[in-house]
Amino acid sequence: MTKYDDRQIGDALKRSFHPVHTELERDLWPQLLRKLDDRPVRVPWYDWALAGLSAAMFLGFPRLIFVFAYHL
Amino acid sequence: MDLLQRFALGEIDAFETLVHQFQGEIYAWTVRIVRDPGTAEDLTVETLWRIYRARQRFRPDGNFGAWARRIATNLAIDHLRLKPREESLTTEPVGVPQPDRLVQRETRDKIRQAFRRLPAKLQVAATLALIEEQPYEEIADALGTSAGAVKLRVFRAVRILRKRLNQAGIGPEQK
Repeated sequence: MTKYDDRQIGDALKRSFHPVHTELERDLWPQLLRKLDDRPVRVPWYDWALAGLSAAMFLGFPRLIFVFAYHL
Repeated sequence: MDLLQRFALGEIDAFETLVHQFQGEIYAWTVRIVRDPGTAEDLTVETLWRIYRARQRFRPDGNFGAWARRIATNLAIDHLRLKPREESLTTEPVGVPQPDRLVQRETRDKIRQAFRRLPAKLQVAATLALIEEQPYEEIADALGTSAGAVKLRVFRAVRILRKRLNQAGIGPEQK
């Protein structure tokens, strides 16, 4: 059997993979816009820190809940 | 203020203009690598989305097209890594069932399979250089490397492929 040399590999690849159609058939902007709108809402770190601090405070000093409730 | 500056500041209108300007180019590059129109469209959308997310890192005096192409190439490599053995839709058209044709088709299928088993980076370099005949400088720019490194990848891909095909007893087609 004849064996491949390096040049023949290139030719064999070109014959094995047919040319692809490189024209884009449709506008991708609407799809992209949907993807941009689907972004999950991100809670900033300082909101989490504030929530954690409040929870710790109420656990340590439960009576503060009444003070907060009074001021709300 | 020019378009790229407005994009870097997050103006959606500027981004829309850039998308319309570059989506075709990004798609054409991606489909050459992944060789499947549906996948290439998905990857183009993903590329554009990542571009928008990374807009603050873009220098308005830079080359937007080259930057986009690099992101698209990285995504295509990731895709090939995740689905290395998935057969492309762009296979041979259904032909006349003559014995020679069948052998030829079988040989080409085996070549495609052997090619798909190459490491993704070698596959991309070889696809763009040998099948698509893109200039080495352009491939190097998209891969974020030098033309010499691309030539080395193509050389390695050819060597591995040659060895595998010869071991599998697949010889060159007779002209």
